[in-house]
Order: sequence, then C-alpha cells, then structure tokens
Amino acid sequence: MAFIKLNDLEVEVEDGTNVVEAARLHGIEVPHYCYHPGLSRPANCRMCLVEPHVFFPPAGAIVPDRQLATGCTTVLRTAPPNRKLDGKYDFIVYTDSPRVKKAREDILEFLLVHHPLDCPVCDQAGECDLQDFTYRHGHDKSRYLEVKNVPPKKDLGPDVLLYSTRCIVCTRCIRFCQEVSGSNELGLIHRGSHDEIDIPRSHDGMPLQLLDNKLAGNVVDICPVGALISKDFLFKSRPWFMKQEKSVCAGCSVGCNITVEYKEDGVYRLKPRFHEEINQHWMCDDGRLGYGYVNSDDRLQLPMKRVDGEFQPTHWADALTQITEKLSEADAEKVVVIGSAQGTNEDNYVLQQFAHEVLKTEHLGLFGALPGEEHTFPQFTIEADKNPNTAGARKMLSNGTPVLEGEALWKKVSEADIVYLVSGAPERSLEAEEKAVLESVDFLIVQDVLPSEVTALADVVLPGTTFAEKDGTFTNSKGWVQRIRKTVDAPGEARIDWEIIQQLARQLGGEMNYHFAGEISLAISENVSGYAEATHQNIGDSGVKLAE
Amino acid sequence: MSEELIQIQNTFRFTEENQREFDALIGHYPVKEAAMLPTLHLAQKQAGYVSPAVMTYVAALLEVPLMKVKDVVTFYPMFFEEPVGEYVIRVCHTLPCALRDCKGVLAHLKAKLGTDVASETDLGKGTTPDGKFTLMKVECLASCDVAPVIMVNDDLYKNLTPEKVDEILDNL
Ligand code: SF4
Ligand code: SF4
Ligand code: FES
Repeated sequence: MAFIKLNDLEVEVEDGTNVVEAARLHGIEVPHYCYHPGLSRPANCRMCLVEPHVFFPPAGAIVPDRQLATGCTTVLRTAPPNRKLDGKYDFIVYTDSPRVKKAREDILEFLLVHHPLDCPVCDQAGECDLQDFTYRHGHDKSRYLEVKNVPPKKDLGPDVLLYSTRCIVCTRCIRFCQEVSGSNELGLIHRGSHDEIDIPRSHDGMPLQLLDNKLAGNVVDICPVGALISKDFLFKSRPWFMKQEKSVCAGCSVGCNITVEYKEDGVYRLKPRFHEEINQHWMCDDGRLGYGYVNSDDRLQLPMKRVDGEFQPTHWADALTQITEKLSEADAEKVVVIGSAQGTNEDNYVLQQFAHEVLKTEHLGLFGALPGEEHTFPQFTIEADKNPNTAGARKMLSNGTPVLEGEALWKKVSEADIVYLVSGAPERSLEAEEKAVLESVDFLIVQDVLPSEVTALADVVLPGTTFAEKDGTFTNSKGWVQRIRKTVDAPGEARIDWEIIQQLARQLGGEMNYHFAGEISLAISENVSGYAEATHQNIGDSGVKLAE
Repeated sequence: MSEELIQIQNTFRFTEENQREFDALIGHYPVKEAAMLPTLHLAQKQAGYVSPAVMTYVAALLEVPLMKVKDVVTFYPMFFEEPVGEYVIRVCHTLPCALRDCKGVLAHLKAKLGTDVASETDLGKGTTPDGKFTLMKVECLASCDVAPVIMVNDDLYKNLTPEKVDEILDNL
C-alpha cells in the first residue's frame, strides 16, 4: 500500500494504482478521455493533468513539480524510506490546484475548437464526458473565431456510425480494435487537426474493410463523446428518460454483466457492466443487439389451446384446468418434464419440485437454444452454448436423478404420453428427429415466449417470460451465480415461469407457496448442494462463485 | 481478409527488380512494419500512386493491418492516393520562400500550365488534362538559404524567378 497525500486527504492506495483511479476511489473526479481502464494508456488527450509535488532542491522543501503530470499514467507506489515526502508520504498530488484547473480549462478549449456543439441533436447528450467535463471543469466561452473543420459523417459498419465532427481523437476506439477485438479495423487518417477516425477505404470513399466484428458495439460505449453511435439506438431515446437495472446477458453461457435500459414500452438497449472475472468492460454484439425478441409484437400474450387442430386463445383458468385434468389422469412413468437452460435457477428449481413432489415423475429433461459457434478474441470469448443458464438449470433439475439431455431425452419423450416443455429459447427451430419425437407426443404442453417450431407442435401453449421480465439467477459456465432483475412488465397475460408452474402444482394438490424469486433462492440454498451461499441477498451486484 | 480484398490485392505485385530491392531493404529493419515507408515509396514508384491494390499488397507483405497502411499513406503528403502527372511540381510556400515571392512563382506556374493547385485530398485539381504535370504547394523543402525553391519529381531548383521556371519547364 502506498500512503498518499491527495489534495487535503491522506489515503492509502494499492501499489500500481494510477492517480485517476486513486482519486475516483475517494470520490474525486479527475476528468479524462483517452484513458480507459480496459485499454492501454497513450496519454494523448492531456485532460487528466494533475500536480505532483517533489523534493526541490534535493535536500530542501517539497514544492510543486515544474510540470503537471498526466494522472492516467502517473502510477502510485510505495517509496523507499529515504524518499518519503514530508517524512511519511509516498506521493503528494493535487487534483484541484489553480494550475490544474487552469490547465483543464485550456485543454477543454482546445478539444472544443472544432467541435460542433450540437448537443441538442446528439445521441450522447446526457451521458457525454465532453459535455459533463466541460460543464464541470471548462471555460464558459471559446476564443476560436476561425472556420471549424467539418469532416464527414461516416458509416463504419453494420451497427456503428461515426459523426466525425464530434470526435476528440482520444483513440480509445482504435485501441479497442487493436487490443481487445484484435480486428484492427479502425485507424486515423490525415494529420493534426484534420485527424479523422476511419476504416480502410479507397481514395473515393469505398470501404475496403468494415468495422464488422462481434465486439464492435463496445466502441460506441467507450467513445467518450457522441462520435461513435449505435445505429440500433440512434434517436430512440434520451438517456435520462430510461430506467436502468443491473442484470446478466441471456445470450450465451459467458454471462456478461449488463445494465438493461428500458422504459414502460420496452427494452431500449443493453450495456456491459464491469465484472473483473467475467466480461471486464465488454459484451458482444450478439448479446447487445439480441434483446429485440423481448419487445417483439409476436410475443405470446395469451394461453392457447388446440381446438380441431387450430390454436385458439383462451384464458389462464381454462388452459390450466385442461392441463391439470390430463396430468391427474396420467401414469407418472409416462410424463416427462423438461426445463429450460434459458430459464432461471428459480424457474427450474420449482419445476423440479413440481415434477418430484407433485407429478412423482423421475423423468426430467433439459432443453434450450441450439448451440452456436465459439468466437475468441485476444481479450474476450463468446461461448458456443447460447443459453445463459445451462449449468444452473442442469443442477436445479437433477435433484437426485441425472437430467435427461440429447438422445436420452428424446428417447424418453418418444415413450411419453404427456410432455411439459418449458422452452423460452426465442424462435427455437427443431431438428428433424426432435420434431418427429415431439409430434408423436399425445399431449404436449409448451411454455414459451415466442411462436416457434416448438409451440407449433403443442396442444396447449402457455406464455412465459424472458430474462428482462423476471427476477432470478443464472449460473454461467464458470460457476458464477448472478442476478437478473425484472425490468419491463411481461406482455399481455404472460406470466413469470415459476409462477405458472407453482399454479399448476397447487391445482394438483401440491404445497408450494413462494411469493417471490428470492424465497425460492433460499430454498435452493438449503437444498441444492453447492448453492448455500447463492441467495439473492448474498449475490449482490457481482455474483457468487460456486466452489469448484 | 475478404474475397474482394484479395482480388484487389492481386492486381498489384512488385516487378522482379523491385522485389529484389524490397528483399534487400527489409533486412535493414528489426521488424517488418518498420519498413513501411521505403516499401510504400518503392510501390508508389512502380504504380504511380498508392491505389487500394498497393495498400493491400503492402499490408500483406509487411504483415500489418490494412488500416495501418492507410494511416501512414494519409499522414504523409508524399504518398499519392490518386494518379498524378508525369512531373510533380512542389512549390515551397513556407516563410522564407514566401518572403522571396514564391507566390509569383506559383502564379506563373499556374498560368503557364493552365491548372489549379492540387489539394491533399484532390490531386486531380492540380493535374493538367494531358496528365503531364501536377502542381502542388508544400511545406519547407529545407533549402531556405536558396529560396524560393521548387522540386520537380526528385530534383530541387533554387533561387527561382518566372524566367528560370520557364527554362526548367522547357528542359524537361
Ligand atoms: S470516435 Fe470516439 S472513441 Fe474514437 S477517437 Fe473519436 S472520440 Fe475517441
Ligand atoms: S458473450 Fe455471451 S453473455 Fe456476453 S454479451 Fe455475448 S452473448 Fe451475452
Ligand atoms: S486521460 Fe490522461 S492524457 Fe488522456
């Protein structure tokens, strides 16, 4: 630990921390643009200037250094005993001295020289570092009278636009493409005040390579200004009109920490949230842009039953009664219950309880989205398992008996009379043999979120909920149990999955009385091995790692 | 690399002689990327300008991302991204030359060649219709003691007057 004098505070920071982070830890803002904790530090924007104090002359007083230093690259370390400042400090630094304040004003004036100041039409307004830092640390006017550069707006790739005029050339986006995605699509063209971010193009502007990699969306997040813009989000909402909730991406088994931004009428965007061991600062575009199905107009909103071969919407009481009648007559040996790797641990635990305690069947299976491809980057991996909770669902469903998967599952289904399949995998298609087996089932109950090849085969369809509409936990492939949180309301009469299951259980005489997902997590922590610590209270914002 | 890029790249390659020159120069550098400038000069000499084919070829040759090459090419004004005239005339317009009337030299050249001055992003503007000359302004050519100066391709001409300019052009 280094003992630091930071303004008038005396603080201890870990060796290796830079001044920007040390100040942030103690609630002091050191404005910065080019520095991003997930990237290398070129110290090119000069926004983070701070004033270190040094011995001068060697035997004498401690005075301000002649030069201000960049806080992003000034790293704090324990000094040898004979080098302590004032006999005790490892470092003395001021982030609020008059010299620092003046420097900030000047740097900001330079950064704004060619800036169009078009905040009223800029997507970033409200979450813009240039706007915020100028407001808090800048001049109130510019002395620049000449004509401003107006570099063109550019289309960089499938999801990213560049409003070049707003760019302050911090090069975060370039470094991201070099260091994290390793795809190297971005660079600088021209020189000096004519610098522009661009992809490789021919002289007449034809792209030779697009910003087209599965991590590209991150450059929009890290752009401190409104230069890089997501086409998906462009002009959709002002940031301050959206509510935010911490959650986990449901796109694959990595389990990236995210913030869901939403309004009453739907989810507006997903942004990555820092988790040191899972996704650091990033998420992939499949996950980022994959929320569309939540808002889809096609969502299942009412229970449906098959009447003379056609689906008819019905009400919950009717659908559930029809199911319970069938189930109460059934031979437990011929009932298969299938949980979903898209569902939460809570959904799957309740389903397991329902199967064992009420239906008395041992035939529990696991279903989910079809596997995709694994993609690896220098500092990120997208996993092939496109379900967020395979590990958790498997564990929850296998209370004693192993869970049926793949071949074994379809074999069991082919022998069954009644199958209760909780899917939740958006628009899941069926492989030929899966389809053949499901078609042969006498009475197929499907609980899902969107019409799909699976629901098409059902006798009764129950509308369930997506990750954005419920509370619960997912367990990722590395054993991190993490919270997802309800944001928007489920569409129409769709219901939380475990509530539907509990309702069925009760109608069949089961004794289940959960009121919210946190209660189920308590039951899980008591009854599922390894999950003792994984209650909602313990999990917090960054999850709990299960013992190996 | 995409199919299209490979196709573009395939439309340029070093002649045998230039390949030999490249093989010799690449040995002078600790890493391939460091040979970017001489390699680009060599390629520009052969192709006349740095086309997308040249950029992709050089990127592959030096094993660097294409954007790095584009970055360098746009940074240095001595690389041309579009065809230029047979003779590229560079008129220095930095202070010492300006004090010694480079404006007059430039005006004379403009009138004589019947063309405008090229800009960095539009070289065509300064190129004569017959493709013989490209006229451009440049920063200091490091010959302030003999201002005003111009360069015609690789040759420097000093202490210029309109008459001397006529002479130079006549002798080309
Ligand atoms: S586009 Fe954004 S991230 Fe990239 S250099 Fe400009 S300001 Fe920085
Ligand atoms: S890597 Fe997986 S969990 Fe992370 S954002 Fe992509 S799809 Fe979501
Ligand atoms: S943040 Fe330190 S110089 Fe840019």
